[in-house]
Amino acid sequence: MTTVNMTVNGKAVSGNIPDNTLLSEFLRENLRLTGTHIGCDTSQCGACVVHINGMPVKSCSTLAVSLDGAEVLTIEGLTKGGKDAELHPMQVAFNDNHGLQCGFCTPGMIMTGIDMVKRYKAEGKDLTSDAIRAELEGNICRCTGYHNIVKSIEDAATKM
Amino acid sequence: MDMTGEYRIAAARDVVWAALNDAEVLKACIPGCQELEKTSDTEMTALVVLKIGPVKAKFKGAVELVNINAPEGYTIQGEGTGGIAGYAKGSADVALAADGDETVLTFTANANVGGKIAQLGSRLIDSTAKKLANKFFDNFHKHLSNEGPEET
Amino acid sequence: MSTGIGARVKRKEDKRFTTGKGKYTDDIRNDNQAYAAFVRSTHAHANIKGIDASAALAMDGVIEVLDGHQLTGDGIGNIICGWAVTSKDGSPMNMGAWSALATSKARYVGDAIAVVIAETQAQARIAAEAVVVDYEELPAIAHVMKAMAEDAPNIHENAPGNLIYDWELGDEALADAGLASATHITTLDLTNNRLSPNPMEPRVAIATYDDAEEHYTLHTTSQNPHVARLLLSAFYQVAPENKLRVIAPDVGGGFGAKIYVYPEEITCLWASMRTNRSIKWTSDRSEAFLTDAHGRDHVTTAKMGFDDNHKIVGFKVDTVANLGAYMSLFSSSVPTYLYATLLSGQYNIQNLHCNVRTYYTNTVPVDAYRGAGRPEATYVMERMMETAARELDMDPAELRRINFIQTFPHQTPMLMAYDAGDFPKILEMAQDAADIAGFAARKTEAAGRGKLRGIGYSTFIEACGLAPSQAAGSLGAGVGLWESAEVRVNPVGSIEILTGSHSHGQGHETTFAQIVADRFDIPIESVSIVHGDTDKVQFGMGTYGSRSAPVGMSAVVKAMDKVEAKVKKIAAHTLEAAEEDIVIEGGQVKVAGTDKAMGWHEVGLAAYIAHNLPEGMEPGLKETAFFDPVNFSFPSGAFICEVEVDPDTGVTEIIKFTAADDFGTIINPMIVEGQVHGGVTQGIGQALLEQVVYDDDGQLLTGSYMDYTMPRAADIPFFDVSHHETPSPNNPLGVKGCGEAGAIGSPPAVINAITDAIGNNNLAMPATPQAVWRAIQATKSVAAE
Ligand code: FES
Ligand code: FES
Repeated sequence: MTTVNMTVNGKAVSGNIPDNTLLSEFLRENLRLTGTHIGCDTSQCGACVVHINGMPVKSCSTLAVSLDGAEVLTIEGLTKGGKDAELHPMQVAFNDNHGLQCGFCTPGMIMTGIDMVKRYKAEGKDLTSDAIRAELEGNICRCTGYHNIVKSIEDAATKM
Repeated sequence: MDMTGEYRIAAARDVVWAALNDAEVLKACIPGCQELEKTSDTEMTALVVLKIGPVKAKFKGAVELVNINAPEGYTIQGEGTGGIAGYAKGSADVALAADGDETVLTFTANANVGGKIAQLGSRLIDSTAKKLANKFFDNFHKHLSNEGPEET
Repeated sequence: MSTGIGARVKRKEDKRFTTGKGKYTDDIRNDNQAYAAFVRSTHAHANIKGIDASAALAMDGVIEVLDGHQLTGDGIGNIICGWAVTSKDGSPMNMGAWSALATSKARYVGDAIAVVIAETQAQARIAAEAVVVDYEELPAIAHVMKAMAEDAPNIHENAPGNLIYDWELGDEALADAGLASATHITTLDLTNNRLSPNPMEPRVAIATYDDAEEHYTLHTTSQNPHVARLLLSAFYQVAPENKLRVIAPDVGGGFGAKIYVYPEEITCLWASMRTNRSIKWTSDRSEAFLTDAHGRDHVTTAKMGFDDNHKIVGFKVDTVANLGAYMSLFSSSVPTYLYATLLSGQYNIQNLHCNVRTYYTNTVPVDAYRGAGRPEATYVMERMMETAARELDMDPAELRRINFIQTFPHQTPMLMAYDAGDFPKILEMAQDAADIAGFAARKTEAAGRGKLRGIGYSTFIEACGLAPSQAAGSLGAGVGLWESAEVRVNPVGSIEILTGSHSHGQGHETTFAQIVADRFDIPIESVSIVHGDTDKVQFGMGTYGSRSAPVGMSAVVKAMDKVEAKVKKIAAHTLEAAEEDIVIEGGQVKVAGTDKAMGWHEVGLAAYIAHNLPEGMEPGLKETAFFDPVNFSFPSGAFICEVEVDPDTGVTEIIKFTAADDFGTIINPMIVEGQVHGGVTQGIGQALLEQVVYDDDGQLLTGSYMDYTMPRAADIPFFDVSHHETPSPNNPLGVKGCGEAGAIGSPPAVINAITDAIGNNNLAMPATPQAVWRAIQATKSVAAE
């Protein structure tokens, strides 16, 4: 067991956890932040993507104890919550463009989408639909056929 | 898949044959072998750690020598289970031919796996099995050539 | 903005999903939760000689280890197939016994043998590894063509030769005569590759026994919680229905895989009673590959004859289907009543015959996967049409047009009476959208870049809206396939719709609300949908077979009819007018042509306050209806796929995919288009990427996303989707259902396009780069000879 301290969605959290606890387990089971999903066991589907210190990471493949002092942002942290809280433009774009059906892949898609828009903006590169498709390499959706996910990210890119 | 190989060993056939029947030698040469105990002249129990693709598991099982035809050869076969990792089994027909002072060892080996290890590591089974078989005979060759087996 | 029928209303459910607030089964954790892990067979076929749980029982946190003898000893019943298919010699199908935990024999890799219950999931999983099963290995059958061999091992005692049934539909003598009269005959051997459905949310079950009430609650990832409860009660003897509540909360995709009640749910319920703990089991992806019912897996030979006018004069199909190690819930119906019945396609064919044999193999049970039988039928039909057109040196669209059914209703020789459609029109729409006229130029341009361009069609029909209960019953279905709805108008006028349909991505919370908002002209925000809980919703049949719109919504419409009638009575009474003069519009219930009106909410209030109701009227405003369709609905479509193949690598790129569909009335085009996108993508997955592979010993080799290739964003193009609406006359909304069309129609369009590009018709699915490259080499060597 190891004690780990980190900031999750702006809040300081800590836990005394077995060393082999994955970040995804820590988020879901210890913090009960169940918006981060587990879709596979071979690090292939991206349903579990969160941001660690601003970088997108598959939380199913990251040990929680390795993140002492880290800043973690999950899907729950994109909006303040509460009745009239403003949603992140990526969340709005997924609704506007029907970028989700069952919603299971959605948290990972949104976290991945936000990162790619930011990264391309920072590098001054054009986020074309082909680039979005290539960037989604690590995210699987079984419902949407990606069409509207790509449209959602394109749309959000104009608003972020 | 069948794998075959041939080694020329600088030792007399009797010496090679004795080594093939020596549990200590086998233990030193079977890749990943942590324990090997004789339970009879031809039977042993073994604990072997195997890694195939993403699955690493301890296989507990039995090794048996059959078709014994001293000193010309035998079949060595092993079978082990690794819990939900599944099972692995394999066998090798080993033949020894005397060639002057030296011995030519030829083998035909095959391997089978099942369960999770097959599910996750299927792409790698053939290559892993080949590697393991070659490693065993390599080790054995080196052992008799007094080079000592490589760390596995 | 309109929120009524036909409007692109944004989804009401999205907010919770985009903010991480969806409530999926695995998100639930009960107080004092215990966890289950299953001990699964590592052999495809083996006798179970003994189970030694002593080491596991001694491990940290282990509460109990339970096996199949204890399960059957407690009277838990075998898992059944609910659709009886009779062989052509009149004998019943050979259903082998399937116990939730195998007792004496394991029949596939993954077959559950025992369950470990522990305090944590990790403890349960570690202990499951320590359970030692003593197996006596038996020879295994991994492929259906090996199941019928003389010396094949026997999988179920009561299925000699591993045959489940040998069934036929149509008139063989007529088909033979038709073929004998033909001037051209096209023959094809086809394999429909085996697939794993792979909803992104793996299956989960949480079973909670309440000893004080002797009551069970099951939270589960189900497409049809009521059917699950019925099976668990009536057949598996877990508990009577009034002592069992089944809840399917947010469900992360289904595609068929979540229709069935699997061994895990049964075992968790029973183990919950045995241990008096709430038991949670969460499948990981590896387990999903090993246990979720697979789809497809047909081997078919087909022969089609044409006369001088290129009209089809005879069609014979012989299919062998693999049902896996046990018969899953709908497995028997998929290669028969959901397959052979659609072999007339969009064409006028009178002389038709299909024979189907199904076999057991030592593989995961095979059952309905998106489309279920209809993709297999469409693949046979549309590969056949394209092949015949090439052999006859005809435009493939023209050959289809010559044979299209033109008038409706149309009775096929395969039981089906098509309701409505306009096949030439949708083909024309698709051709225009795909710019067929410009294809030759595009092909030349591509050739200039060293690429092979090809185009492929698929014009298909499917039977949806399962199903008229009486017809289903006469074909062997164990249940009726109606749907129910309750429309509950609250005293302040807001409305709850209780439906037996279940949404696991289809957007029912939006579309069902649309039809209500449309009918009563009230804001969509004041309509809520309740589903997925057997304690809240009256009995229902669930969501599969594209049935929620044609059957589920029709039940809502029927209930709304009753509500409207009562509303009008109350308003007429209060406003002192004649019932016929009452109209509902703009949030008001008014007397037409006057300014006399009540607010919609006032009528609700009047119904519940009940101070002044018409003589003899019961208070309240809530109506229930059951809708039993009189026929299937028949969505149809024309898909055109354009590909470019790199002859050096065999890599196929889908340049354009055009889908023109006739789904009848469309409630929400945005959602319908989404269904088409997803369905076509699964079809492209089948055509290009996906395949379940077993080795000869029955070991599953494609057991993770490393080996089973899921379509990813870069594999898939944008889609061009359009609609033509010929309303179905068989339900009040005229809807036909749209969930499966994409997966049904697309595989042959893709394969037709690739084979057109490479000039070799001999190409099986999945058309991986390696397979395509080999097919190209084969044409080269033929050309060289
Ligand atoms: S759950 Fe992390 S990649 Fe699939
Ligand atoms: S929306 Fe269901 S997996 Fe993407």
